[in-house]
Amino acid sequence: MRRYGRVFREFFRACFVEEMEYRSEFFGNFAASFFGVGMALLTVHIFFYQTDDLGGWTYAEVLVLLGIFNMLRGFIDFALRPNMPRLLEHVRRGTLDYILTKPVDSMFYVSFRHLVFWRLIDVALGLGVIGYGLYIERYVPSAVDVLMFLVVMAASLLLIYSLWMMLMTTSFWVVRIDDLSFIFDSFFETARFPGSMYRGAVRMVITYVLPAVLITNTPALALLGKWSVSTVLAALAVAILFLWLARRFWRFALRFYTGAGG
Amino acid sequence: MVRKYIALLRMKYIEMLAYRLATFVWMTGAITQPLITMFVWMNIHPEESESFLFYFMAVIFVERMTSAWDVWELDREIREGTFSNLLLRPLHPIHWAIAENIVYKWLFLVILVPVWMVGAVYWPALRPHMTGSQIGWFLAAVVLSAALRFLLSYSCGLLAFWVTKVAAVYGVIDVISLFLSGRIAPLEMLPPQLREWSEWLPFRYMISFPIEIATGAVRAEELVRGFAIAAGWLLVLAAVLQWLWKAGMKKNQAVGG
Repeated sequence: MRRYGRVFREFFRACFVEEMEYRSEFFGNFAASFFGVGMALLTVHIFFYQTDDLGGWTYAEVLVLLGIFNMLRGFIDFALRPNMPRLLEHVRRGTLDYILTKPVDSMFYVSFRHLVFWRLIDVALGLGVIGYGLYIERYVPSAVDVLMFLVVMAASLLLIYSLWMMLMTTSFWVVRIDDLSFIFDSFFETARFPGSMYRGAVRMVITYVLPAVLITNTPALALLGKWSVSTVLAALAVAILFLWLARRFWRFALRFYTGAGG
Repeated sequence: MVRKYIALLRMKYIEMLAYRLATFVWMTGAITQPLITMFVWMNIHPEESESFLFYFMAVIFVERMTSAWDVWELDREIREGTFSNLLLRPLHPIHWAIAENIVYKWLFLVILVPVWMVGAVYWPALRPHMTGSQIGWFLAAVVLSAALRFLLSYSCGLLAFWVTKVAAVYGVIDVISLFLSGRIAPLEMLPPQLREWSEWLPFRYMISFPIEIATGAVRAEELVRGFAIAAGWLLVLAAVLQWLWKAGMKKNQAVGG
């Protein structure tokens, strides 16, 4: 475990050096992230211009949810998205062999080798939106709330990682990966709003089949003091289940790869 | 010219068939945002669910029938230098782009109209109530929307002669248009200030206007005014495109040596 920490720090350093070569782009990226958050806030504002409750959530609660959504998307763009096209290249050109012979776990390597730092701005902005939402709600989370929030947030990150990893693993068979991340984005987009807002079959799918609702809604509720031990445990269980599935799928795909590459 | 276009269309049609899967994925991806927004509005005003269903299905339809991705194509072609190949051909490159747009829109029409008809059997809310002249105005407005979005997309793409991050510029315009074209909310739901802006800016005429005609939200005198504003923007964007083209050609030669 400590070795993986060290390897991750080394990835971090290598990518940081790489990124410092494009310092002039920092301002543009910063402005783009700000613009994105501003527009998301304006969207919520327009909805609440007509109502003061969305699926049982108040304006401030939806802001907390939006902040968490923004944070998680920041993490995806920071660590996961940059690696997807690379895996595709490795599979297509057969250079995955080099990774498989390295003394690190291959799944760990292909998912964290490339990091895009400026996307962490989105994480910071997300935290800001959460703070603002809590301020309007006049709610100060207790220590237990924060603890529960951290636990559920870790479960959400695991879940996202597993779902993304499963999607990424399909690159052993599918060639057009930009289309695949497009599918993930449109599914994840549903997690921007309270799950209680959806109806019928859509609600069933994004709650139980692809747990988009679980990923953003449970951390938001935990931070607002509306957690329960059973939901926290359920979130953890689902996260571990999906991680196990992703792991199995990756192993299965690797067997397929050696079979094909000879 | 007609014979040239027939040849162009045939070529672009064959090209499209090669990318069937990608086309399908982009098509399904483009429907999630309107669907989510629809759920939000149904939640806010449950009593108007049926009209929201019609409105947002129409948004998906009009959006697909009018969207143009020439900005990304041009950005890539100009940046990588392959645009020069198009310039060498005897026909102005814009005709290739127009032919491609016609082919894709025809495909979307062929898929979406039957889907809508099947949907209308199950959901009565999807059955349109339009008079003959309303249908005519609606179709004219859709064609006008498609032309406006194409001109905007192509003009932005030409900026690639000067700027390296054209996609980001277009992204900003697109997000602004989310609000003012009626994709985030039917324009009547917007705060009055934004609604007033939307009347005069081109974005309303890129998606919302045809739908307003279809639902009967636009009265006769507003209809004329709407078409006049849209036509005005059409001329402005066409002039901008022509000017950018000329300036871009000079710039291009300067760099190419």
